[in-house]
Amino acid sequence: MLKQRKILACVDQSPYADYVADYAAWAARKLTLPLELLHIIDRHQEISVSTDHSGAIGVDAQENLLNQLTEEEGTRTRQVRERGRVFLNGLRQRCEANEAISVDTRQRYGQLLGTLEEQQQDVALYVLGRRGESAERTRRDLGRHVEMISRQVRRPILTVAGEFVEPRSALIAYDGKRMTRRCVELIAQNPALNDIPVHVIMSGKLATDADKHLQWARNTLNTAGFTVETAYLPGDPEQEITRAIGERQADLLVMGAYSRSPLRSLILGSRTNDLLRASQVPTVTIHL
Amino acid sequence: MNTIRQEWFSNIRSDLLAGLVVALALIPEAIAFSIIAGVDPKVGLYASFCIAVVIAFTGGRPGMISAATGAMALLMVTLVKDHGLEYLFAATVLTGVLQIIAGWIRLGELMRFVSRSVVTGFVNALAILIFMAQLPELIDVPWPVYVMTAAGLGIIYGLPLLTKAVPSPLIAIIVLTVISVTVGIDVRTVGDMGDLPTTPPVLLVPNLPLTLETLSVIFPYSLTLMVVGLLESLMTATIVDDLTDTNSDKSRECVGQGVANIASGFMGGMAGCAMIGQSVINIKSGGRGRLSTLSAGIFLLALLMFLGDWVSRIPMAALVAVMIMVSVGTFNWDSIRNLRSHPASSSMVMIVTVMVTVSTHDLAQGVLSGVLLSGFFFAHKVGRILSISSRSEDEGRTRNYTILGQVFFASADRFVQSFDFQEVIEAVRIDVSRAHFWDITAVSALDKVVMKFRREGTEVEVLGLNEASATMVDRFALHDKDEPADLLLPH
Repeated sequence: MLKQRKILACVDQSPYADYVADYAAWAARKLTLPLELLHIIDRHQEISVSTDHSGAIGVDAQENLLNQLTEEEGTRTRQVRERGRVFLNGLRQRCEANEAISVDTRQRYGQLLGTLEEQQQDVALYVLGRRGESAERTRRDLGRHVEMISRQVRRPILTVAGEFVEPRSALIAYDGKRMTRRCVELIAQNPALNDIPVHVIMSGKLATDADKHLQWARNTLNTAGFTVETAYLPGDPEQEITRAIGERQADLLVMGAYSRSPLRSLILGSRTNDLLRASQVPTVTIHL
Repeated sequence: MNTIRQEWFSNIRSDLLAGLVVALALIPEAIAFSIIAGVDPKVGLYASFCIAVVIAFTGGRPGMISAATGAMALLMVTLVKDHGLEYLFAATVLTGVLQIIAGWIRLGELMRFVSRSVVTGFVNALAILIFMAQLPELIDVPWPVYVMTAAGLGIIYGLPLLTKAVPSPLIAIIVLTVISVTVGIDVRTVGDMGDLPTTPPVLLVPNLPLTLETLSVIFPYSLTLMVVGLLESLMTATIVDDLTDTNSDKSRECVGQGVANIASGFMGGMAGCAMIGQSVINIKSGGRGRLSTLSAGIFLLALLMFLGDWVSRIPMAALVAVMIMVSVGTFNWDSIRNLRSHPASSSMVMIVTVMVTVSTHDLAQGVLSGVLLSGFFFAHKVGRILSISSRSEDEGRTRNYTILGQVFFASADRFVQSFDFQEVIEAVRIDVSRAHFWDITAVSALDKVVMKFRREGTEVEVLGLNEASATMVDRFALHDKDEPADLLLPH
């Protein structure tokens, strides 16, 4: 039997954890998938906390040092583990109050990116906070990991931008190419979502076959029972789509994720990133 | 990018502080090891600077300290004495080249044949050698030297009980230097031992003819230096791995040591490797990243440039005290306590490693004897896993021998002796399907048994030889037979 995939919500101890949990619970309820709350403990073994600068080594220096470091790290880890456990349990209760069907929690050692890649096999959807613990310090728009993660894992990622608002309409940033056609197909495959009206918006340079592409998207979604509205907005995609989100009061943006060539995006910049940065609503990025 | 940040800049404050502590301890050590090798202190100091700085970038184990070491210095004594300094530089460069090759062909994986007991023996021998190297400074010297050495040790071990904020070896050196200068005690000082560096090192191509003759002089030295350097570096890397609970890239470390030694050779330095004592000090002081190693090297040179005059006035007694501390801290005292509880063979391996090293002053020979001896003991032990049972069948006409266990060079004799050739019998059946024949010795032992029986006019039938001799193939054909775990078990 195929193991049922799950929704994996990555939380850290920041205000975003609650938003992530709320959106994850919403997605779990909508898609009737089990939800797992993942808290990653990065042990930072590369950082030390020594105050001993005596530089003297005596009898059994090595053994004593090993014992001392093991002891210290053990104590520290136990504290972090316990704090994480309490934190995760709080979130679990929050999710269960939001009627998510089955909520599990897990703490793992490691680094965010590696851990998410390892879990990929069993995951249907990742839910991440746009900013995390580090946001206060770095003041960057995107949590430092989000971009890297969406490059590495081949699963849809829901990036949460702020407090939970029950999505009432979704907007697909569409360009008729393979990646965004896949977005449309993926939405169409989940008829459970069809109580949410979908806007399919094309933008960019004037394309002659835009109508044809939009027609295809409309048909695909209509067949799955969605209410669809399509539009073609010529101009700068970033601006037009951001405006469209505002005008149509969309609560969820769906778009194709980063192209696979990091070189290309290094030179040209990444459109995905621009959009992700500009968008004030939660965003689902989808890979091929 | 992430690893660069993690290995360099994630622990900046602690790394810099630890680097300073290490640099202060490196100065006396580098001077002491230069004296062991019979060269000017500046050779060891330049080497320590170059190696520490280069290995910070090229090494595979962040947070490990490499510099001029005693283990290496001991190997150069005759080269320097017989041929001179230029040959030492050339040998250092060649050592580096050999180490790079060793890294590329992953020679480091051979470390798995070096057992725990050999490692302990290596470490103990190193500590003993470092201590013995101090004896010339303690024998036949005026009495103030003993007082100063004792006072130095008192400060080194006493001060940390009061404060751990300052390096106690440094305080010991400062106090002893100030006292000996102001009181005017007439003892030997570092300045008496030879030149100290006054400028940063400059590029210096060894002034030697590139001939086979030169090569034949330096190659044996470089080969031993390569082996000992890598051994100590890889052992130290494992120690640092354990202490920090992280992994290191051993092959990169081999290549890195090579690059560092080449740099040292071209900068007027001697060959070096990782240092167990210094690395422990570094970790203890909070050093974890590459920055700690780099800063140790840079602080070392900066201190020498600023304090050059003062360094030459440090009394040798102060250095001796620091080196005794290093020796005590390096020695594995547990191994003495464990002598009774550990198996005699392990203790024997450890002791032989120590004894061979101390008598030859060559850690390579010590390790080689240790490895050979542990292999010998292992073969002996596994050779005992062999049992042969027999019963007569067919109303006394036939005897069935069943062989169980390992047959190889160490057990082949016992295998042959287990058969009763005096028995008057028509036929013998030898069932080897549950035994393993590991080598040619085992097969010829079986041949011998068969021939002996035939000579008595006895029919011989061997059962299951195919299964038994599958282990002889160097690459085990595991797919149609056992899991590795089953190989040592009877079928």
